[in-house]
Amino acid sequence: MRKAFAVKDQAVLDAAELVLAEIKSIGADEGETWVSHNILTELYYELGKISMVRTVFSDKVNVKLLKDKRKGTVSLNSFDPLDIKQAVADAWQAAQSAAPDEAEGIAELQENLSFSSGEEKPDLDRMYQQLTDLLADAKQDFPKISFDSIGVEHNYSEKVYANTNGVRLSDAQGVYQLSNMFMAKDGEKSSSFNYFGTVYSDPSERVIETERVRRILDDTQQQIVTEQIDGSFVGDLVIMPGCLENMLWFVGDTYLQDGAMISGTSPWKNKLGEKVASPLVSFSLVAEHPELAMENYLSGDGYVAENMPLIEDGVLKNFSLSRYGAAKTGLERSANSGGTFVFDKGATPLEELIAGVEKGILLGRFSGGAPSPAGDLSGVAKNSFLIENGKVTKPLSEVMIAGNLGDMLHDTVAVSQERENSGYWLLPWVRVKNVTISGK
Amino acid sequence: MLQDHLYDYVKKHGFSGYTELRAQQNRNRAVSMLNGSLVSNSSGVSRGVSARVVKGGAYGFASATGYGADVETIAQIVQAASQNASFLDRHVQRGQPDFAPVQPFSRTDGLEHDQPVEQSYLLALADELDSYIAERFPKLLSRRVFARVLDMEKLLYTSDGVVSHSFVPRSNVYIFMTTQDQEGQPVELYKVLGGYGNFLENFKNAEDYFEKLEKQYELLMQKAEGVYAKPGVRTVILDSDLAGILAHEAVGHTVEADFVQTGSVGGPMFGKQVASEKVSLVDIAHTAFGELAPVPVFVDDEGTPAQDQMVIENGILTGYMHNKESARKFGHKANGNARAYEFSDEPLIRMRNTCILPGTEKLEDMIASVEDGYLMTDMNNGQADSTGEFMFGVPLGFEIKNGKLGRAIKDTTVSGVAFEVLKTADMVSDKVTWTNSGMCGKKQMIPVGMGGPAIKVKINVGGRA
Repeated sequence: MRKAFAVKDQAVLDAAELVLAEIKSIGADEGETWVSHNILTELYYELGKISMVRTVFSDKVNVKLLKDKRKGTVSLNSFDPLDIKQAVADAWQAAQSAAPDEAEGIAELQENLSFSSGEEKPDLDRMYQQLTDLLADAKQDFPKISFDSIGVEHNYSEKVYANTNGVRLSDAQGVYQLSNMFMAKDGEKSSSFNYFGTVYSDPSERVIETERVRRILDDTQQQIVTEQIDGSFVGDLVIMPGCLENMLWFVGDTYLQDGAMISGTSPWKNKLGEKVASPLVSFSLVAEHPELAMENYLSGDGYVAENMPLIEDGVLKNFSLSRYGAAKTGLERSANSGGTFVFDKGATPLEELIAGVEKGILLGRFSGGAPSPAGDLSGVAKNSFLIENGKVTKPLSEVMIAGNLGDMLHDTVAVSQERENSGYWLLPWVRVKNVTISGK
Repeated sequence: MLQDHLYDYVKKHGFSGYTELRAQQNRNRAVSMLNGSLVSNSSGVSRGVSARVVKGGAYGFASATGYGADVETIAQIVQAASQNASFLDRHVQRGQPDFAPVQPFSRTDGLEHDQPVEQSYLLALADELDSYIAERFPKLLSRRVFARVLDMEKLLYTSDGVVSHSFVPRSNVYIFMTTQDQEGQPVELYKVLGGYGNFLENFKNAEDYFEKLEKQYELLMQKAEGVYAKPGVRTVILDSDLAGILAHEAVGHTVEADFVQTGSVGGPMFGKQVASEKVSLVDIAHTAFGELAPVPVFVDDEGTPAQDQMVIENGILTGYMHNKESARKFGHKANGNARAYEFSDEPLIRMRNTCILPGTEKLEDMIASVEDGYLMTDMNNGQADSTGEFMFGVPLGFEIKNGKLGRAIKDTTVSGVAFEVLKTADMVSDKVTWTNSGMCGKKQMIPVGMGGPAIKVKINVGGRA
């Protein structure tokens, strides 16, 4: 919900105003602060039992000040006025030794707004019921699944952004989250680890009823006995939605965000408005979306975030730059520099998308490092299956893939009609050609 | 340094049932210069107190910021943890007894290293290194100097009567250099300096590191002219830095007792041959080869005195890493592997300083023994799996042809199944080095040390066809 600026917890706003008063009184030219009060409630399952209830209360304050374009930043986790005063003094001291940077600054005055969503108080009984239901349902429907851990969390946070230009923004959000790690076991044989994360607003929902969850548990049960492939070949990847999110983060880091753009290493630095991918590729960063539980209303540098296309029909529409990154590169600040991805659905039914693969891999998870600055990446195909003559034939192990991210975007030949929803991303299956796939 | 307000709490309230009470402060500083611009100039303190209470085998945990002299605030946290344990105990009714008590003791470790460094000191050092790189190495597309400090201080009281106050400093400088290859594609190499110790101890003068910068630039130029590795199973010498990550990723995670209980490959292999007899592997608690290890742990966060945990002895899997609960379940001895990262984190089974012990071979003899393979010299991230399958990224290596080093290779990844790869280890060098900037992720992050000698194995290389 969006409304005129008004906080629920006055202590959060008082701490923010105190920071700004200290910033002004110490002699800084401008400054900003993020202040938040957070309560985490976690129910934790591990090693065959619900083992722990955990409650974490935390206050956080981030201070940034500028003097003659020299920056100092300090973080602390106390609202105590003496601690805040000391933090501003430390930031001031840090700024004195810093080199000036003309690109530094803070958010300009804009409409002061507050956002809120979700439940403020956790319902521990419903969380407990949800967890025990998941364990019972999984045992019945997927008896070979063995959970290493499951965390059912409720996170409530009220955060305020305030700066010396008069900007005041706040976001109070309560959200439930379920994370886990599991494998499938049969005697002494076991599959690779797998996981699914999900964000949601109602802990009464039965997790097992989600189609995505059922698919991942079912896939994992099929991966207890795997096979290897001999030699190497160039073939197709069908990237599953969860793995696609991993790849999109790589795209952000390598091509679109502050680091790659300021350093000048981004291969796309001069390609705004140009074709950088197959026309089948369209994806966005979103602040809110009717199908997603996760909302990212505020950017990290004090702006109201908006939905923003990154690539549309293969054309680079926006970078993902902060205010600083934009000033540093001479480009426009992006309307969203977060990480909630929505990839447009394609025209190909999943079954047909797989049927078109002569030889390749249905890639469930990529275990590998971040790509090189040129976009080269290599790693192990985990929780994956071999595709031969249009059919998924066998689960794999010890298979590596290697390619280039930019090339893979160009070589995208199909996008599925179906999408999966984790609550914090909405993504399809994507088929990419010309990837090196190697076995033993 | 943390004031001991926990003593006042314990004196006034004592403990009711099994309890760990911990005050903790993580202090950090970061300075990052990108192409000469100061993109990060930050410091921070994360401080708070936590309590973990166990009732009938059910754990209740609570924590809050604002650690101070008010004993009643501490009492509220202990009470909240106790209520959480009661809620769960009511539901699960596990009925387990408390852990066997350890002998009470009190100790302090590393407090003499608590010498706060001014932000201006980091800024000056980063600036000096950056200026040197800018002046000396004109072929760079970009450069980044990132200085980082993490000081972890913990004050622990347990209901067994254990009191431990520890300070573990870590300071590093990361140097990233990027150039372009003949096709104009960016090629990057990075180097990590420093390790255990505060910033003042580790970085007395910038010029002490100039020689290493020269070497890094020379290697980057070789990499820019390098080739992609050929894919498939190859004979590879993993240089000492990579042996450490092999110890951590390939073996270490599979023998953490929580993963063993879930079904990792380490379970059925206990007491069996899992590596060549040339391979021995230990998780060092605090001291190795007469020196302090990169992440010394003298008392873990459950109050267990820390000792080395032997994992593989001459190729035989002989031990797991435990917390109190898993040690009781297996009938083993807990050796201090229960560690928490922040004050708000509960202790988990974690590695400390995982190390393959040195052999007798010389690296040059190992290279001379390879007809067609690679020497992998640098590593970045790694991941492990319950099946023992692991991978780690290799940003730099060299071809070996007929016993001689050849062209550099570009970024690649190596992978394998831990116990199969280790069985192929036929040469182990006599020199151990430590990597001491590593952070391991497993619900929480945690600093770890990784060490080892060069080791010759057959391993899968993820190159280009």
